[in-house]
Amino acid sequence: MSEQMAGWVVAALALYTAVGVVFAIPFVVRGVNRLDPVARESSWGFRVAIFPGAVAFWPLLLKRWLSGQTAPGERNAHRNAARLTR
Amino acid sequence: MSLNYQAVLWNRQKKIYDGLIVLGVVLYLGMFVGVGSLVRPQTTIETLLIRGFGTLALALLHVILSIGPLCRLDRRFLPLLYNRRHLGVTMFLCGLFHGVFAIVQFHALGNVNPLVSVLSSNTDLSSLSAFPFQPLGLAALGILFLMAATSHDFWLANLGAPIWKSLHMLVYVAYGLLVLHVVLGVLQAETNSVLTLILAVGFVWIVSLHLLAGFGEIAGDRELTAAGSDRFIRACAVDEIREKRARIVCLAGERVAIFRYDGKVSAVSNVCQHQNGPLGEGKIVDGCITCPWHGYQYAPESGASPPPFTEKVPTFNVRVKAGEVWIDPHPNPPGTRTEPAPIEGDASNG
Ligand code: FES
Repeated sequence: MSEQMAGWVVAALALYTAVGVVFAIPFVVRGVNRLDPVARESSWGFRVAIFPGAVAFWPLLLKRWLSGQTAPGERNAHRNAARLTR
Repeated sequence: MSLNYQAVLWNRQKKIYDGLIVLGVVLYLGMFVGVGSLVRPQTTIETLLIRGFGTLALALLHVILSIGPLCRLDRRFLPLLYNRRHLGVTMFLCGLFHGVFAIVQFHALGNVNPLVSVLSSNTDLSSLSAFPFQPLGLAALGILFLMAATSHDFWLANLGAPIWKSLHMLVYVAYGLLVLHVVLGVLQAETNSVLTLILAVGFVWIVSLHLLAGFGEIAGDRELTAAGSDRFIRACAVDEIREKRARIVCLAGERVAIFRYDGKVSAVSNVCQHQNGPLGEGKIVDGCITCPWHGYQYAPESGASPPPFTEKVPTFNVRVKAGEVWIDPHPNPPGTRTEPAPIEGDASNG
């Protein structure tokens, strides 16, 4: 990879990470409670533990937070078939 | 089973497991640096640490990749699986230290951004001796970061099992990248090929173990089909199921665990709601199906975790006729109570 191209890749990554950090702070404090009700009573240790993941997956979490979606629920062949046939 | 999330749900086994991990890491690094500085006194401590963390991460990755198939081949390895994610996070941290030390040592002294330097220092893709092996390690580290960052149960629930599983299957891509990273790095930097030889043995070990475990499962994954007009399908003979254990069959596109207990038979979907562990490889403890991976429990008749827990798996209607178990291939919604089928002539049936 040329130095110029590598510079662009690193800059894009840095920007993505910076936005992720700005997003993740309010997300682990408040947003997560809306996304997953189990998180409401959860410890601060848990919030720190999910911080890096919130930085990495901020576009997905932001979309869910804004649209008010909750956890997607487990899916597999049996769960899908049970939904369809009953 | 959880009503809220904790950073880690500590218990005695996890503390012992983590204690052994820390002890192993300290002993390995201590020995690596100690022996290394005796055998090659000219090597700096930084270089020894880079190599120590790198080889340790690679060794841990081999252990981690071996645990799954080993547990499929022999249940005595199950305790290793119990806290595998802490082993994974430890492996990532070792890889991270290796990467950070290496970048500082080899790329931070010029006036180019160190990461830019890693990505652009070697550009000759056609030559083995100049192939850019460091970006391969960086890419593997990126994958391992995503896996470590999403190792908490919260992520399985919130990314959803298909995304989470696909993300964690990338460990095989990371392994491939690391094998190339090490082989190319050794070829370029050293004349000593012992590490390459060890890596080759490790590669053969991982591939053979996965093939062995995979072949063992193929037979059990043949989908059962109806024999006649009856909607129920013959699954197995009652005598094939040991008391408080299950027989696993494949039905409706997934595995079903048929449990025998107290003179009755019940069937549930084999997939644990926690991390998709194989319920049929667990046993009935205190009246509940207990997942062999981390101990989540479900009532055999309803597939529901005992209150106050809320996990549920689909159930199946079953019958026992003339010593044979028959099963309705249409799953009931998770947590639906079904009537256990009594086993004729079983003394404990009662
Ligand atoms: S997979 Fe964790 S308890 Fe079943």
